Amino acid sequence: MRLQGKSVLITGAARGLGRTAAVACAAEGADLILLDICADLPGVPYPLGTPGQLEHTAALCREAGAAVLTSEADIRDLRAVREAVTRAEDRFGRIDVAVNNAGIAAPSGKPVHEIDEDEWSLMIDVDLSGAWRVVREVGKAMSARRAGSIVNVASTAGLVGYRHFAGYVAAKHAVIGLTKAAALDYAPTKVRVNAVCPGSVRDDERAEGRMLAEIAMALEVPVHEHEKTFAAAQPMNALIEPEDVAAAVVFLASDESRQITGSVLTVDGGFSIR
Amino acid sequence: MSASPPDPLPAPAHCHAMRVRPAPSQEPTGRQGVWIDDLPLPSTGPLAERRRATELARPARTPRRVQLRYADGLSDLIVVAPRRGPHRAAAPPAPAPAPAWGLADDGPETAFSVLLEHEGDEASWLTALAVTLRRYDPDTQPVIGTDQGEFTVEPAATLGESKPSLASGPALAGLLFGNPVDGSGLGEGGVEGEYVPCLAPPFPLTVSVFRDSGGLRLRCDHRSSHVSADIAAQFVRHLVHVHQQVLHAPQTRMDDVELLDEAERTRTVALGRPPRALATTPMSVTEAFARVVAATPDRIAVTDGEAGLTYRELDERATQSASRLRALGVTGGDRVGVCLERSAELVVTLLAVLKAGATYVPVDPAYPADRLAHTARDAELGVVVTRLPGFPSVAGCVQVTPDELFDEAAAASGTSLPHPSPDEPAYVIYTSGSTGRPKGVVVPHRNVIALIDATREEYALTGADVWTWFHSSAFDFSVWEIWGCLLTGARLVVVPYFVSREPDRFRDLLVAEKVTVLSQTPSAFAQLLEVDHTEVGVRVVVLGGEPLDARVLLRWFDRHPESACRVVNMFGITETTVHVTEQTLTRKLALATTRSVGRALPGWHLYVLDQYGRLLPPGVAGEIYVGGSGVALGYLGQEELTAQRFLPDPFTGGPMYRSGDLGRLRPDGRLEHLGRIDSQVKIRGFRIELHEIRSVLLEDPQVRTAAVVVRRDDPADAATARIDAYVVLSPGADPTTIRERAAGILPDYMLPATVSPVDTLPLTPNGKLDTTKLPPVGRPPAPGNAVPARAATATDDLTAPLTEIWSDILGVPVGPDDDFFELGGNSLFAVRITAALRTRGLPPLRLRELYRHPTIRETVASLRTLDG
Repeated sequence: MRLQGKSVLITGAARGLGRTAAVACAAEGADLILLDICADLPGVPYPLGTPGQLEHTAALCREAGAAVLTSEADIRDLRAVREAVTRAEDRFGRIDVAVNNAGIAAPSGKPVHEIDEDEWSLMIDVDLSGAWRVVREVGKAMSARRAGSIVNVASTAGLVGYRHFAGYVAAKHAVIGLTKAAALDYAPTKVRVNAVCPGSVRDDERAEGRMLAEIAMALEVPVHEHEKTFAAAQPMNALIEPEDVAAAVVFLASDESRQITGSVLTVDGGFSIR
Repeated sequence: MSASPPDPLPAPAHCHAMRVRPAPSQEPTGRQGVWIDDLPLPSTGPLAERRRATELARPARTPRRVQLRYADGLSDLIVVAPRRGPHRAAAPPAPAPAPAWGLADDGPETAFSVLLEHEGDEASWLTALAVTLRRYDPDTQPVIGTDQGEFTVEPAATLGESKPSLASGPALAGLLFGNPVDGSGLGEGGVEGEYVPCLAPPFPLTVSVFRDSGGLRLRCDHRSSHVSADIAAQFVRHLVHVHQQVLHAPQTRMDDVELLDEAERTRTVALGRPPRALATTPMSVTEAFARVVAATPDRIAVTDGEAGLTYRELDERATQSASRLRALGVTGGDRVGVCLERSAELVVTLLAVLKAGATYVPVDPAYPADRLAHTARDAELGVVVTRLPGFPSVAGCVQVTPDELFDEAAAASGTSLPHPSPDEPAYVIYTSGSTGRPKGVVVPHRNVIALIDATREEYALTGADVWTWFHSSAFDFSVWEIWGCLLTGARLVVVPYFVSREPDRFRDLLVAEKVTVLSQTPSAFAQLLEVDHTEVGVRVVVLGGEPLDARVLLRWFDRHPESACRVVNMFGITETTVHVTEQTLTRKLALATTRSVGRALPGWHLYVLDQYGRLLPPGVAGEIYVGGSGVALGYLGQEELTAQRFLPDPFTGGPMYRSGDLGRLRPDGRLEHLGRIDSQVKIRGFRIELHEIRSVLLEDPQVRTAAVVVRRDDPADAATARIDAYVVLSPGADPTTIRERAAGILPDYMLPATVSPVDTLPLTPNGKLDTTKLPPVGRPPAPGNAVPARAATATDDLTAPLTEIWSDILGVPVGPDDDFFELGGNSLFAVRITAALRTRGLPPLRLRELYRHPTIRETVASLRTLDG
């Protein structure tokens, strides 16, 4: 059990990658603090996680033997993040690992000059500042304990550009910047900060993922063939399974990666090689 | 050469391949040995080393290829046995599809091994395999793969007359007999460890018969993607049992071959029993009701709009009405028709009929006159309680109104009559069935009591609950709603017809009345899920009455996690008193699109039997039979039909009901319901499972609900059968992509010819999907009375958009005085019109108003009145 005795906080845990990563951590012996907004956001053109989905993730983690705390928290709200972290520390004594997974892929699908102020701010607020708020709230205690691992789920959009996705690309590039700077801040205290860059992850039905379909929708790729289109863009000619990304998260969360900080681990089937 | 590895590699060295091929003989039993061809296979240097390592590490890609390593460790021996003899193309065949009976899962792939007492020969094992497979799936020719190609065994009169013959097609099961490498010297020295006939099981279900140091053995490897571990273990038992019959009782007629031995029969019978026993005291509904009245006389029993009745009031009114019924000549055992809208007075009347010692026969006032007349005559009704002026007059049948039965001033004047015996009929409900005229199902008092006792504790039903009464009293789901509520002391909220058809109003009622127990057909529930249901506070949802696609529940679970509300799917039959099984649903089961309807209710039990009445093992589909406390007394006045459908239970005595429904047990005793046997559809010779098509449509994120129907352009010609699908889409969805996506998943014979977006799916008065009301595919023809010129005159701010909406939705030009219904309008179009009004920000139009004022001019007038 590679995460035995660790308590892991995951944002955006109601479904998709967050759910898969949570279950993978639970299977490795971790206890979980699961955060999700559990509400729709005005401006985001697709439904976000729900209370029922968050409860289901928690049930799956409990089935795997984890103690679980759930929290309906909006990472745009520093106070909500702080409350969730406080509750988690009360319950588990500390947070060993924080996984910044929550993020939105849209509003997207248009050139830079068509993005309005609200759309831009929303994207940055969730995808970049949301991760910063969590790092801010867990970083202090981790530093004090001289242990901890923070995993930021960026994207290949943090490495290269995507047409008509300026807000998302900018936010994800910045998440990598945040990762590197925070890694330096915390390196003296043995707290590690790393990023994972998933490529095109298959929308797993059991995990109720829908990110890829939403990106396809924003790009106006026909829904029924989007999987093929995205797979073909990755040299290994297959979509990434959510479990593949979860495995990278578990590795960076565990002590196996104790000398790894500030790194960017791509899980993209070779997409960013060329 | 096509069977050798395709990689182009440098010059040969230290490596060669041999091709093994069967002797020319096609007889599986007459094995002559193997031919070995030497094939030059290029291999040298680091590349070859890598290839060699790869080949050794990888399980055989095709069934007949086995890689061995020479003793010197430097060279490969690649043995490539062609699948079908030397002259056939070696293209790997398509894998056999997973059989439904395999209950495939993602569990581990274990191998089962049993010691055999009798060896038999390859032919006897082929016969046993084929017979077992045919018993598991009578519709599919068993194709069994062997070293020598594919074989089948055609049905013969007896086991002894069965002979294997060559077949073609993808093999689900394979037989590897003996040890083909043994004795040839090929396997000696070079191979480490135990001999297995293949590196990876070549067939989804691979049976190997061989001898090792422990003796004669049968080993079965299964792929979990095709056959689960439970089913594979059971299959091995059956195969060995059948094989013994092949060897020792060759005279056995094919139909008499037994799969199950005595011990397994006992186990299978037990599997259909509920996990909990039923604790019930037989009594009449009136006696059980009297106990509730005595316990909580002042609690509200029925809420009907603004009005309410306490238990005491309900009891007094019913007692008085019962006296009046007696005065009208009704005596014990008589049948009394009740033809009233859902209302408090209907509850009073039903109870009065029971108190008079009679049997109530509910008929829906919405039924056509000839159905009302048929019921009155068939049930030999002496009295009908109705307010319907048009209730057909039938000789010997007196019509009375509830007012004539009840006099407010004399409410407490009735005298109580003795309670009927628990074995007396309580009600007769007519079911249409798929053939013939509706038949009356006679259900005694004790069955209703058993139903309540079977569920009371499990669902913690108490007087604190509030139930809805949503369904027509002529639909037996209402028996559950009415008596489930009143016999547990809860409050029954009458849902008026118009509210039951308007999801947002129904939602408002659920919230306002603080309903806790909600019973719905899946179709009606799906409509409720279309509106914001966050505020609904029910704690139990009971689904029943039609098959459920569990995926639609995800939207419910989003807002109402399992910890807050329990969702139960109950499979039921009128002939077995409303419900038979119970399955608590979870998000996990919904995501897995479970078809399970769960285990039998306490007191009920079920069997899945084949056409000869033999028990079928888990996984295998057959007819569902139901026994126990819910079995009805029979069909009214139809002794012959009753004798055909209500049979003696061969396992426990007592009666059991032959349902005509197809189902299969799962190894944990849960039942999967697979639809009506007589509605199994074939298109171009393929058996079609409509639910599978529907399930694929529902997986599309753009689809909220879906219905799939089979239609024939020429009803007499099966060849004109066509699948039409109807989908309710998420906002902003693109309807053109739905069918394209489905085409990527479904085989072409299952692909709907059309996929039509609709705003909502039409329901019958019973709340089930009404396939007759689905719009025809394409636009309805323009009726003659629509005059386009009149349409042009509409100009004002309401008439113009309304005209446009009507024309658009009905697909014909519309004038201000054209009647909605004459233009082909129905409830579905009505819903779409109200939705279109909402979208455009026009004043809301209730369906009721549209029905009352079915022309544009009248609708506009009514909207203006409401507005003012």
